[in-house]
Amino acid sequence: MAEHLQGWWVWIALASACIGTYLCRAIGVMLAGKINQDSEIFRWLSAVTYAMVAALTVRLIVLPIGLLDTVPLWIRILICALSLGIMLSKPQQRLVPALLIGTLLMVSYGVIR
Amino acid sequence: MPADRDPVLVPAQGTELNRFTSRKDAFRSGLKDASGAPAMVLFAGMVGFGAMGKTSGFELSFTTLSSLLMFALPGQVVLMEMVLEGASLLAIALAVTLTSTRFITMTVSLFPQFDRRDQNKALYASVHLLAMTAWAVSMREFQRIEPQHRLSYFAGLGLLCWMISVPGTILGYLLAGAVPVFITLGLIFINPLFFLLTFAEVKPWINRIAIALGCVMGPFFYMLDRDTSLLTTGIVAGTLAYWIDRQYLRKRRSASDGGML
Repeated sequence: MAEHLQGWWVWIALASACIGTYLCRAIGVMLAGKINQDSEIFRWLSAVTYAMVAALTVRLIVLPIGLLDTVPLWIRILICALSLGIMLSKPQQRLVPALLIGTLLMVSYGVIR
Repeated sequence: MPADRDPVLVPAQGTELNRFTSRKDAFRSGLKDASGAPAMVLFAGMVGFGAMGKTSGFELSFTTLSSLLMFALPGQVVLMEMVLEGASLLAIALAVTLTSTRFITMTVSLFPQFDRRDQNKALYASVHLLAMTAWAVSMREFQRIEPQHRLSYFAGLGLLCWMISVPGTILGYLLAGAVPVFITLGLIFINPLFFLLTFAEVKPWINRIAIALGCVMGPFFYMLDRDTSLLTTGIVAGTLAYWIDRQYLRKRRSASDGGML
């Protein structure tokens, strides 16, 4: 195991991550009765949330750290495009097959490379 | 009702639907609904996360505890990435918290739909069960569930998702150490792919625009400053999407509806 992944500070990092995450959940409960869900601020917050999760997703696919980084970028994007194509053909029913096929394609690449 | 309201955001009001006979019935139905595709997908995500933990060199206890106590896959992934990079504690805490700000909006949109009698302190415990999957299913189903049964349904749904996250993480961790690299490659690809695929289900145009802008602007802000890029992208792209919707889409929609309310 890598040297810097041991020791107390890794656990403090985990603790602060847990507190930070729960804090957001608690703030949500606190505001839930006060902000109308159809209000303008909610529309804005919802858009901000989706933009943030989109940015994280692109980062995990285009700029990954570790094992996924050893797969060429165009392979990663091609597999994503194919899976997304399956998903978009019938969004209500195709999540599981699209996820399965995308994962299997990545495994196949690992086998033949 | 204003013509531009998103159907997704409108709870069933004054509709007498007797979908469930009791709270127990609603709870069981939530458990049942979760045990299909949502739990399968979340389980796969947790397996993928466990595999990421193993391949990145983290301890099993660290990887598992983050699933149990954070129960927020994107935040867990950010935590791992930043610990690997050796980022400062403050930067890690801030970045993970910012990634989790989506829980504020999720809670604000979902929890007011609970019955008035359920709006109490116990919600501070229930909120830990909230995750993207349970949120998406609840937002869709609540329209067809009477308010007094919504919390029970949500509890069943969320509880099952939370309970399976720990065995999923442990399984992924152990698998990654035992199976060939090509299998591990598939496992760690599950989460990014899952996040991407869920975007296809997003309905209102304002959120679709936000996703598109977030995808385009994300890498740009990432190059500028890693630690704050998620927040900056969220605020800039989200605000732009909101503005586009308000300035152009809503006007056009109300014009085609003859401006009626």
